Amino acid sequence: MTKRRMFLRMITASLLRRRSRMLIALLSIGIGATILAGLVTIYVDVPRQMGAQFRSYGANMLLLPREGAVLNSESLSEALRQIPADQLVGAAPYRYVRLDMTTRQQSFTAAGTDFTQIVKTSPYFSVEGAYPAETRQVLVGKAIADTIGVKPGSTMELTYQPVSGAADKTPEESRVPGARLSGKVEGFGGGMVYVSAVLDDEARLLSVTVDASTQTPEYGGRVPEDEAFLRQFTGKSLPLTLGGGIDALTGATVTSSAVVDALNSATETAAAARPRTMNFTVTGILTTGGEEEGYVFLSLPDMEAMTGTDQLDVAELSVSAGADRLEAYAGAVSENCENVQARLVKRVARSEASVLEKLTALVFLVTLVVLLLTMICVSTTMMAVVSERRREIGLRKALGASDSSIRAEFLGEGLFLGLLGGVMGAVLGFVFAQVVSVNVFGSSITFQPLLLPAAVIVSMAIAAASCLLPIKHAVAIDPAVVLKGE
Amino acid sequence: MSLLELKNVSKIYGDLKALDNVSLHVDQGEWVAIMGPSGSGKSTMMNIIGCMDKPTSGEVLLDGVDISRESSKKLTDIRRDKIGLIFQQFHMVNYLTAVENVMVSQYYHSMPDEKEALEALGRVGLRERARHLPSQLSGGEQQRVCVARALINHPELILADEPTGNLDEANENIVLDLFAQLHKEGTTLIVVTHDPEVADAAQRTIVLEHGKVAREVINENFGK
Ligand SMILES: Nc1ncnc2c1ncn2[C@@H]1O[C@H](COP(=O)(O)OP(=O)(O)OP(=O)(O)O)[C@@H](O)[C@H]1O
Ligand SMILES: [Mg+2]
Repeated sequence: MTKRRMFLRMITASLLRRRSRMLIALLSIGIGATILAGLVTIYVDVPRQMGAQFRSYGANMLLLPREGAVLNSESLSEALRQIPADQLVGAAPYRYVRLDMTTRQQSFTAAGTDFTQIVKTSPYFSVEGAYPAETRQVLVGKAIADTIGVKPGSTMELTYQPVSGAADKTPEESRVPGARLSGKVEGFGGGMVYVSAVLDDEARLLSVTVDASTQTPEYGGRVPEDEAFLRQFTGKSLPLTLGGGIDALTGATVTSSAVVDALNSATETAAAARPRTMNFTVTGILTTGGEEEGYVFLSLPDMEAMTGTDQLDVAELSVSAGADRLEAYAGAVSENCENVQARLVKRVARSEASVLEKLTALVFLVTLVVLLLTMICVSTTMMAVVSERRREIGLRKALGASDSSIRAEFLGEGLFLGLLGGVMGAVLGFVFAQVVSVNVFGSSITFQPLLLPAAVIVSMAIAAASCLLPIKHAVAIDPAVVLKGE
Repeated sequence: MSLLELKNVSKIYGDLKALDNVSLHVDQGEWVAIMGPSGSGKSTMMNIIGCMDKPTSGEVLLDGVDISRESSKKLTDIRRDKIGLIFQQFHMVNYLTAVENVMVSQYYHSMPDEKEALEALGRVGLRERARHLPSQLSGGEQQRVCVARALINHPELILADEPTGNLDEANENIVLDLFAQLHKEGTTLIVVTHDPEVADAAQRTIVLEHGKVAREVINENFGK
């Protein structure tokens, strides 16, 4: 048997056969290592965790249309390509319009959006019921739901009033499809021909009035007074073609054609300008504690059907990146996209950094305190162990143990304890961190393989440092005094 | 040939002279008993001879080396290399088995050798109990382990401070037989005892009183 094997046999026997005392030392190292390993794990994981936490307080980047440009699903997805997919948590598009609830003489701000994205960018949204999953479904803000008294399952009729000043019209007027038409088209010689018409309930023309004062008086200028020409239009449905039921006024073909064109284009405009009403089912009531409670949310397809355009006002992005990266992505969007500009939501991005700093300091402080407590605890236990083993130490010295042998044996025991405690700490620390992470941050963490050697080395160092004073006492023991009687 | 020589050795604690000007001479291979009333300085002398303590004054020559002037590190070396110790309270490392306790002595001396350690236990009749912890051994058995431990490194000098003080008749005889064997092999033995029977087994008995050598008795019957 080699000396080294005997050495290991002695220190393991000391630890294994004198369990109760060593268990205390092992526990103090183990618990210390557990707390440290846990803290470090959480700390390493915290930037990610904190990022997720802060993102849950809202988006950290906005995409907006540039001056004179349009933000729609196409230009939005183009802009999103500037952000790495794995860092883009979510991108919620928004289109805001006013919608009327004609049955109650109320009007609200309505937001067209993508509910699958809202869940990611605004995880703090709390919905009673469910998010809309199909078209013709709405999510109603709590404030609105309280005023108009809707619940999940209720239906509501919403009207989009495109013409400015639509609110001034009586509902009666608004509901007549295209009551009045007016349009203008370039006539002969570049002058404008103005046309206005009145339609009946079936959208047939009742009467047509023309202003052709810019046209040559002998030719086109005669059109407004020519009863026969104008009478042709009565009872006709739009669109019309010259020669197809409408004959041009002799000598005024260009002006006549302009009248027909003006009427046709006016119908198109009128069609676009016609108020649209749709029925929706309420799927959920939204509580946010913010202004969103005063909104009605509907799907983008519904919004497009009501407003006739796929335009967006803004997209809220949640990006999992630090302040520097975030700025770089915003820069890339502004540089590479002609329709879209990016803006950072500064407040959140900044507080994320400052909270992290404070957390670093806190973790550092707690680590220091835990290290100190562990050392005191292990040192005290080892002191007790030394005084408990005075006779044994005296005996070993009497048998010829040198001071360095005694030192090596105690240090060996300490390091062995540190090894066991470190392994225990790494495993339990990970469990501890996992529990904290799941309970506090609501997400799980991955095991850092480096944690094991790090925990073992640190706890062995702590154990060794804690043994210094006890070893000094052990070495000072006088074999003669210890062995003499007692 | 002289192995040990004490010249005017005194050990003074405060105003108590535990050893008072003691001179003594032990030959190589001699078996000496030391007797005397309690407090007469027997253990004090053994500690000094055993390199665990230093005299206040005087010279102690062990194998021609004056151990009264050596550093404690040097004393440890000498003790390890030349001396085997047996104590009244059979001190053992309580979490090591009998054979491991013997091996501890080998470990500090040179190389642990389990086979040799088991043989030594065989010599004291404990081959079967080698794997037992001290708590599983009787007092007599423990003391025999201590004897095995003391002889394992073949020391020139065995110092035993009341080795049979806590033993029954049977165990006492086993230990005395071992001493006789060691004596035959040429080992020098110094045995402190209160027991006249144990003293009678030795060649010579030195009686201490009040830290002084009161008298010396040669055992005429030795070996008979
Ligand atoms: N470290 C010490 N400090 C003070 N006095 C001591 C010390 N060691 C021994 N003595 C005293 O020295 C004297 C001799 O002690 P020693 O132990 O040598 O006696 P002993 O002959 O072995 O007695 P016993 O037969 O009881 O074992 C005693 O009076 C004892 O009290
Ligand atoms: Mg004594």
